[in-house]
Amino acid sequence: MTSPRLFSILRQGLHLIASVHTALDDSQLVRFQADLVERIGADRARGVVIDVAALDVLDSFGSRTLRDIAEMARLRGAVTVIVGIQPDVAFAMVELGMDTGSVVTALDLEEGLAELDRCLAASPLPGP
Amino acid sequence: MAAVGPVGSPDQSCASPDVAALIPLVRRIVAARVPDRATVDDLVQETLTRVLAAAGRVEPGMLEPYAIVTARNVVASMWRDQDRHRRHQHRVVDLRPPPAPDEDVLAGEDRAAVAEALTRLSERERTTLLAHEVEGRDTRSLAVELGSTAGAVAAQLNRTRARLRVEYLLVSERVEPPTERCRPVLLAISSGERRRQREVDAARHLLECEVCARLSEPLMERGRARDDAVRVPVRGDADIVAARQAARELATRLRFSPTDITLIATAVSEMARNIVRFADSGEVVVTELEEPRCGISIVARDAGPGIPDVERALQDGYSTYQGLGLGLPGARRLMDEFAVVSETGRGTTVTMTKWRGEA
Ligand SMILES: [Zn+2]
Repeated sequence: MTSPRLFSILRQGLHLIASVHTALDDSQLVRFQADLVERIGADRARGVVIDVAALDVLDSFGSRTLRDIAEMARLRGAVTVIVGIQPDVAFAMVELGMDTGSVVTALDLEEGLAELDRCLAASPLPGP
Repeated sequence: MAAVGPVGSPDQSCASPDVAALIPLVRRIVAARVPDRATVDDLVQETLTRVLAAAGRVEPGMLEPYAIVTARNVVASMWRDQDRHRRHQHRVVDLRPPPAPDEDVLAGEDRAAVAEALTRLSERERTTLLAHEVEGRDTRSLAVELGSTAGAVAAQLNRTRARLRVEYLLVSERVEPPTERCRPVLLAISSGERRRQREVDAARHLLECEVCARLSEPLMERGRARDDAVRVPVRGDADIVAARQAARELATRLRFSPTDITLIATAVSEMARNIVRFADSGEVVVTELEEPRCGISIVARDAGPGIPDVERALQDGYSTYQGLGLGLPGARRLMDEFAVVSETGRGTTVTMTKWRGEA
């Protein structure tokens, strides 16, 4: 991609920090999902924080994609925390009838990482 | 087969006009006047879209006459356009430079029509309207001066504007209403007061009176400031984002609350996605509304396969693609008014409105 990067995935210890940098369309969301799930496997990540503060909306497709990512991460042994859902966006999701399912959410990156540590401490890892 | 979704959320007083029930009637009227099938399809959709746009402003019993009047007007304006096109072609062949439209004259005529229309208001109506529109006085200070309330002044201003529009149309079209009933009917239509429309039996008058039939359309559609419409062609995923950003920009300009702006953008996103998924291509038109108060109207339109059972598609959990059926009912909850007209094999038009909360 030559255009400004739409998202980044960085490793921090056992965790991955995936940040969305702009409003993504459906195909870009699908690519984000594919890249992230692949990285979770490749890096054997134990936790994933997805920062969606830059997303303008979380409509049915966006919400569903986040849920799918968390589910696939879980199947690969990683916990997902979503951070940065703006209050207006959260309200619209509820009105729309969507939610992030059982996915854990937190206010910002710091809290997200703290939440990850709590989750991982509570459920000691099954051997890979 | 056709189906229609009710207008408005269940908790809204807004009645649910059965626009789909009008399709055979509209089709009959158009088909009787237009020979080719494709054009008939286009004009039927165009008529239904206009009827839908006006549906919130007319009382339910008036929808059928209004559809008849609109269908005739739509056909007439199509012939006019074709005629203009023919004349234009002729001109090109002639290699004569087209005469430059004298815009000054047009603007001057328009001003004269407004001035003339203003003289037809009562002194009190005129003074209040000018104080508000020209001097920029707000309703609260006017209320103090008039010994009234801000709400009453606002309502009065709306009625005055409605009258001014009627008089302006009469002046600029150079018509004198042929009957005693014309003015009250036109006024009821212009103000969008449904109770008043029923009282003066506007529906029947529209069918009987050619002048009012012609004038009713600009009066009913005046809420849709066409110049302020943003049209986004929707063909692929990127256009979904473009459509919701266009809606966001207009809503921001209209000073909607941040929460409402996000609700609107989300609803637009859902409807634009339906176009991409089911119809390949279509368009989203975002328009500013001024009457009865500030709002935003979104029309998502395609010529795709249509929705066979709209009632069902509006139910939560109805599965359309990838087990995800939240598009219609979800978007409907996000907006204040929501209507779907779909004809199998001919396309779907979703019209949704959000009103700005009282600031
Ligand atoms: Zn009349």
